[in-house]
Amino acid sequence: MILLWLLIVPLAASPLAFFLRRRSVIEVVNLAAFAVLLCLAAALGVRVVRSGPVSIWDGFFYADALSALVVLLTSFVALVCSVYAVGYFRHDERNGIFREKEELRAPLAVPKLREYYSLTPLLVFSMVLVALANNLGILWVAIEGTTLASVFLVMFYGRETSLEAAWKYAIIGGVGLSMALFGTILTYYSAHQALGTETLAGLNWSVLVGNAAQFDKPTIRLAFILILLGYGTKAGIAPMHTWKPDVYSEAPVPAAAMLAAGVLNCALYGLVRFYILTSKCLGPGFASHLLILFGLLSMGVAVPFILVQKNFRRMLAYSSIDHTGIMVLALGFGGPLGVLGMLLHMTFHSITKPLLFFCAGNVQQHLKTDLFREAKGGLIHSMPLSGAAFLMATLAVTGAPPFSLFLSEFTILRAGFSRGYLILAILFIAFLVAIFSGFLIHIANLVLGPDPGLPPAETCRWKKSSVVGLAVVIIVMGFWIPAPLFRLIQGAAGIVMGGR
Amino acid sequence: MTFLQDPEFGDRIITLMAALVLVLQIAAVGQRWIVSSIRIFAVQSFLLAAIAGIIAYFNHATHIYIAALLILGLKAVLLPWLLERLVKRIEIRREIEPLINAPLSILIAGCLTLVGYVVAQSFYHPEETSVRAALGHNTLAVAIALFLIGFFTTLNRRKALTQVLGLLSLENGLFLAAISLTYGMPLVVELGIFFDVLVAVMVLGILVFRIREAFDSMDVSKLRKLRE
Repeated sequence: MILLWLLIVPLAASPLAFFLRRRSVIEVVNLAAFAVLLCLAAALGVRVVRSGPVSIWDGFFYADALSALVVLLTSFVALVCSVYAVGYFRHDERNGIFREKEELRAPLAVPKLREYYSLTPLLVFSMVLVALANNLGILWVAIEGTTLASVFLVMFYGRETSLEAAWKYAIIGGVGLSMALFGTILTYYSAHQALGTETLAGLNWSVLVGNAAQFDKPTIRLAFILILLGYGTKAGIAPMHTWKPDVYSEAPVPAAAMLAAGVLNCALYGLVRFYILTSKCLGPGFASHLLILFGLLSMGVAVPFILVQKNFRRMLAYSSIDHTGIMVLALGFGGPLGVLGMLLHMTFHSITKPLLFFCAGNVQQHLKTDLFREAKGGLIHSMPLSGAAFLMATLAVTGAPPFSLFLSEFTILRAGFSRGYLILAILFIAFLVAIFSGFLIHIANLVLGPDPGLPPAETCRWKKSSVVGLAVVIIVMGFWIPAPLFRLIQGAAGIVMGGR
Repeated sequence: MTFLQDPEFGDRIITLMAALVLVLQIAAVGQRWIVSSIRIFAVQSFLLAAIAGIIAYFNHATHIYIAALLILGLKAVLLPWLLERLVKRIEIRREIEPLINAPLSILIAGCLTLVGYVVAQSFYHPEETSVRAALGHNTLAVAIALFLIGFFTTLNRRKALTQVLGLLSLENGLFLAAISLTYGMPLVVELGIFFDVLVAVMVLGILVFRIREAFDSMDVSKLRKLRE
C-alpha cells in the first residue's frame, strides 16, 4: 500500500497546483506533498531494511533496498529543491523576470509559477516510478517520462538559449533512450526464449534475475551495450554528455538541481538493474570493462572543461559529468567495496550537489550574470552566507575531507587497488586532484578577495533556510551516517552483488 | 480459402511488407518535401500495423491485435495529422539542405541496411522452431536497418521537424524489432510506450513552434549560441 501512496502523492500534487489560484497556496501544497513523500520514503526504507522487499499487484510494483534508497534520495532532493524554489522564484518575480514578456503585473506571475509547480511533481512521480517499477519496460517508460516532464522546465524562461538547450535535451535524450528501449527488447527476447512466458512477468526484474544464467549470451551482451549507451545518455556519461552543460545552465536553478541530483540517480538505477542481470549472465568481466572505460572517459572529459571554465553554472554541469563518471567507474571496479563505494557516493552526491546549485543560483541572481569574468570576486562581503556555503559546498563536492564524498571516493579508490586496477586507480586520483584544484581556484576567486563594493544581497528566509539546512546535513553526514541509512545502503549493495 | 490458414503464406506476405517498409525508409532519406516525408511515415506505420495484424491472426493473440490497432490509430493517422497541421501553421514546405546530400545519404542508408542484415544473422536460429513460431523472424534485419537509418536521418537533418520524423521512424524500427522477436512487448509496456511517443511528439511539436517563433526558422543549425 505504501508503494501506491508514494506514487499517488506527487501525481495528485501536480493537477492540484495547476488548478489553484493563489501563489502561497500553490507553494504550500507543493512543499506539503514533498514533505509527505519524504516521510513515506523513510517509512519504506525502514520497512525494507526490517522485513525485506515489498511488492504489490503480483509484483508489478516492487521495492527492495536499492529502490528504497533511490526513492529516499529522490524525495529528499525534491523537498530541498522546492524549499529553495520558493525563495528563488520570489526573487525572480521581484526583479520582473516574468513581467517582461507577458506585460502583466506582479500577481500574474502565477501562471508561470503554476507551470513550474505542476511539472515538478510530475517529474518526481516519474522518478519514483523508475525506482518502483519491477517491469523493465515500465522502467523505460518512466525514464522517458522524466525527460518529457522536464523539457518544459528547461525552457522555463523562454529565452533563445533555453529553447536551444531544451531541443538538444529532447532530441539527444530521445535518440539515446531509443537505444535503451532496443536493449530492453533484446533482454525480453532472451528471457522469452529461456522462460517461455508471454505474460507480463516475463519482463519483471525480480523474475529475470533468478534465471539470468540461462539467457542467450550474445543477445545479453548486445543488450547491455545498448542499455549502457541509452541510460548513459540520460545520466550524461561521456561522450553522450553534450546536452548537460546547456541544460543545467539554462533551466531554473531548483529544476537544474533536481535534474543533477535526482534524475541522474534514476538513470544510473536503470543501468545498475541491467548490470546485475548482465553480470549474472556473463560473469562480471564484460560489463566491468565497459563501465570502467566510460567512467574514466567521463572523468577525463570533465577535467579540461573545469580547468578553463568561464561560466560557473556550466562548471557545475561538468562536475556532474565527473561524478557520474566516478559512480560508473566504481560500479566497474566492482566487488563489495566498489559497489558500496558507488552507492555511498550516490547518496552523498545527492545531498551535496543541490547546495552547490543553490549557492550558484543565489550568486547568479545577485550579480545577474553567470560568467566568472563579469563577477569581480569578493562575494563574501556582499553575500556572506551564500559565499561561505559556496566555498564549503565546493570543498565537499570535490571530495575534501572531512566531508562525506571523501569517504566514498576513498572507498572507491580502495576498491580499485584491491581489484588490481593499479594504473587506473592512479589515473582516478590524478583526475580527482585536477578537478579539485580547478574547481577550488575558480570558486575561491569568485568568493574571496577585496570588497568590490556591491550592495548586500537581499536575504530571503526561504533561500537562507534551504542553504543553512542543507549545509548542516552535509556537515553532520561528514561525521555520522545514521545507522538505518547505512543499513539501507548495505542492503542495496547486497542486491547489486548478489541479485536478491 | 485454405491458403489463409497457411503460415508459409503469411510469412511471405510479411516479408513483402517488411521489404516495402524498408524501401519507404530509404525513400524518406532522400526526401526533401516535409509533407511527403510525413506521408511516407504514415504509409510505413500503416504497413507495420498490417504486419502486426497478420502476426496476430496466425498466432491468435489478442494483445498483438490491440498493438496493431494502436499503431494504426496513433502513428498512421493521428501523428501524421498533427504534424501536417503543424507544417501548415508554421508554413514551411521543404527541407532546404540536409547535412549530407541526397545520393550520398541513400548510399549510406544502403550500407546501414547491410549492417542490419549482418547483426540480425546472430539472432537467426532456423533449426530450433517451427515455421509458425518463427513467423516474421526474418524481418529483424529490416527492423535493425530501420533503427539505424532512423538514427542517421535524425542526425542528418537540420530542420527541427524532420528530426522529429527521424526519431519517429527510429521508433518504428523498434516496434518492428519487438514484434518480430517476441511478438510485441507485454500490453502494459506497449501502452506505456505509445503514450510516451504521443506525449513526446506533442512536446516536440510545441518546442518546434516556439523555436519557429523565437528564431523565425526551424533550422536547428542556427541553435548555436551555447558553446564553450
